[in-house]
Amino acid sequence: MAERPTSPHLSVYRMHRYTLLTSVLNRATGLVLALGLLVLVYWLMAVAGGPLAYARAAALLGGGIFKILWLALLAVFAYHLCAGLRHLVWDSGRGLERAQSRASAYLVLIGSAVLFAALAAWLLTGRHA
Amino acid sequence: MAEFRLPPNSRIRGGVTHRAPAGAQEVRTFRIYRFDPDSGENPRVDTFELDVSGCGPMVLDGLISIKASVDSSLTFRRSCREGICGSCAMNINGINRLACTTSMHELGREIRIYPLPHMPVVKDLVPDLTQFYAQYASVKPWLQTETPPPPDRERLQSKEEQEQIDRPAACILCACCSTACPSYWWNSDRYLGPAALLAAYRWIIDSRDEATGERLDALEDPFKLYRCHTIMNCTDVCPKDLNPAKAIAEIKKMLIERQS
Repeated sequence: MAERPTSPHLSVYRMHRYTLLTSVLNRATGLVLALGLLVLVYWLMAVAGGPLAYARAAALLGGGIFKILWLALLAVFAYHLCAGLRHLVWDSGRGLERAQSRASAYLVLIGSAVLFAALAAWLLTGRHA
Repeated sequence: MAEFRLPPNSRIRGGVTHRAPAGAQEVRTFRIYRFDPDSGENPRVDTFELDVSGCGPMVLDGLISIKASVDSSLTFRRSCREGICGSCAMNINGINRLACTTSMHELGREIRIYPLPHMPVVKDLVPDLTQFYAQYASVKPWLQTETPPPPDRERLQSKEEQEQIDRPAACILCACCSTACPSYWWNSDRYLGPAALLAAYRWIIDSRDEATGERLDALEDPFKLYRCHTIMNCTDVCPKDLNPAKAIAEIKKMLIERQS
């Protein structure tokens, strides 16, 4: 007899279900934020490297393409923060009933969108300066 | 490790289409995973256009009708047809559920049926549950005591103590939860999965059980318990409305609390 096949999983399971959607997004945003740290490290090294190095880094990181990258990172950060808070509540043993976790999934998706919009508006209108 | 792609012998190839007979009144299209261990061929997805006007309302009724009138080789487990035996658990339109308690009418015209995800397939919709049962057995799902029982009566519980284990004890071991869990997909060799952990919890909180410490010791392991990342698919799919995710969170809390 041939070896038993493995039944399909990712290809058949409903991935846009609120449970999987929020979990996969949390993992993905975490990964992107970790990669974003590399940019932060570059910036910190430029700060330590003196005025010339800093001026070069500031010119590069303030450029057009990086502006879009910052906005993307901001969105990623907003989601990861909200999803992380949801996990914190779960770890205390609360909010784990089915209806509660479904509601909190939508809360995280909407809440992070609002948080992103607020942060982006604040940065883009220059009120922070 | 996570193996996102199916191994070569598991990839789905083609399939056969069985058209509905002329004059069919209410046709639903079943796309059903087929695997014949004797053929040596890869799994396939067959299409059955079934006239459901003459059969019962549940997905299981449809499967039985196909087996009776279209293809007698279609293989699936079933027994009680009322959601208490847990035999007919399968992946229906992307979600794990019992075929006998899922109404065809809530699914639309196309019904896609696969075996429980990421399991070895014996034939068609029948997964090999050997490991799943071994994991259940590994949590020692029976009462363990040191003290002798009262000579004149049973070991009694208060009403409140019984209510604690009321829900977790209603698990029918259908495996919908464990096979909906991506952590279980990638680490089923070392992660116990939601069903076994719910069973462990049921005995940990049993007021009559005297092996609570040993039970918690056995679960204090980076894989057996802590591969749970609170994805919540288990609680989402449980056909008995039980809550494995909460049980696991409570076990994690007990492990932290006993350290202080």
